[in-house]
Amino acid sequence: MKIAISSEGTDLSAQVGHRFGDSPYLIIADLVTGNFEAVPSPGSLAQHGKGVQTIVLIISKDVKAALTGYCSPAARRHLEANGIAIFTGLSGTVGEVLESYKKGEIKKTETAIIEREPGKRVVDRAIFIHAMKRSGNQFASMLPIFLGVVLLIGLLNTFVSRQFLASLFSGNPVLDTFLGAFFGSILAGNAINSYVIGGELLQYGISLFTVTALIITWVTVGLVQLPAEIAALGRRFALLRNGICFILSIPIAIITVVIVNLVIR
Amino acid sequence: MSSVNKENVKESKDKKAPGRMFIFPACVLVIYGILSTINPNKALMALKTSIHLLFTIAQPLVFVFVIMLVLNLFVKPAQIARLFGKGVRIKGIVLSVLAGIMSMGPIYAWYPLLKNLREKGAGTGPIAIFLYSRAVKPFFLPVMIAYFGWAYVVILTVLTVFSSIAIGCFMSVLMKK
Repeated sequence: MKIAISSEGTDLSAQVGHRFGDSPYLIIADLVTGNFEAVPSPGSLAQHGKGVQTIVLIISKDVKAALTGYCSPAARRHLEANGIAIFTGLSGTVGEVLESYKKGEIKKTETAIIEREPGKRVVDRAIFIHAMKRSGNQFASMLPIFLGVVLLIGLLNTFVSRQFLASLFSGNPVLDTFLGAFFGSILAGNAINSYVIGGELLQYGISLFTVTALIITWVTVGLVQLPAEIAALGRRFALLRNGICFILSIPIAIITVVIVNLVIR
Repeated sequence: MSSVNKENVKESKDKKAPGRMFIFPACVLVIYGILSTINPNKALMALKTSIHLLFTIAQPLVFVFVIMLVLNLFVKPAQIARLFGKGVRIKGIVLSVLAGIMSMGPIYAWYPLLKNLREKGAGTGPIAIFLYSRAVKPFFLPVMIAYFGWAYVVILTVLTVFSSIAIGCFMSVLMKK
């Protein structure tokens, strides 16, 4: 089992780091073999997300417990969510803290998830409130565009005739599916909008082939996000992936509709 | 960068442009304003149609919120990062699909994590599988079912999962060349 101790130096005589994420080093100690290594804490070098990068490091080192002077509630939540126990309020040298931990003298501070019965986890109120806030934010961030789409559909329903919309499509399933895939690739945003737009297009007599291709490419192909994808994953990867997804969306849409028609009949 | 950093990226983007999401609905409202001066009756009819549509989708939207809450309670981004591309062959593929399905938020928020995983040696296949399987949105299924019915949603979801695996395989092979 490995534990991580935030440290001001590279050996066991160094003082325990005052604050998790800010300390220059992490001492990763293996309690089974007795070996330890000093890893420069990425948090000490970063300007933003100090705690976060340190959390990632200790997750990658398969650490089971983190010991430090102080740990922010946010970092604590992420550590505990990943099964890492957190012990705070510690001072002295790393060696002293390590020995105290081995002897079981360090008590674990309060946890976000309470263990009531073996195997049964009860969600803490703070975690529930955090999840409510997060869900509320996600929901709220989706609403403005969603409401805009709903308002636009109202306009479309009232001002644009079905004949006009239908005239945009040829009636040829392959060509119309291609057009649907094309529109889905250009348009971006929350997938829920593609369902609403697709559902309404069906009411206008646009084929399910077209709508399905639009729904598929809405999420899987992103011309708007292409520069960001190129920057993150490379030009070749991004262009190949988007190209393959676009081409495959047409047969997938056709197969989906053919199977749906067979099942419904 | 980590999955948790993903949240930071998203949060910082939201902080940078809090009003950006209102541009589109504001433009639509401007169109309403213009049309209401030209043809007030039709503009009112359009608004009534939108309100009716909103009431129709309200019930599935409640389910959307409930599923979002459940996912936020029990699925953490860091857990998704742990699932990602782990294991070999079938296990690795299944975990990448699961990570994609469970991932929430806009795609650009996930790019830093994917870049980091790529730099740490994650294959192009799992990344492509993750990006494609994001098309399955468990929390939006109620809205999709309300519009297209169960049969359609089940078939499209199953095909999307298989397609994500196919695209992962294609990408692995093509990127090696």
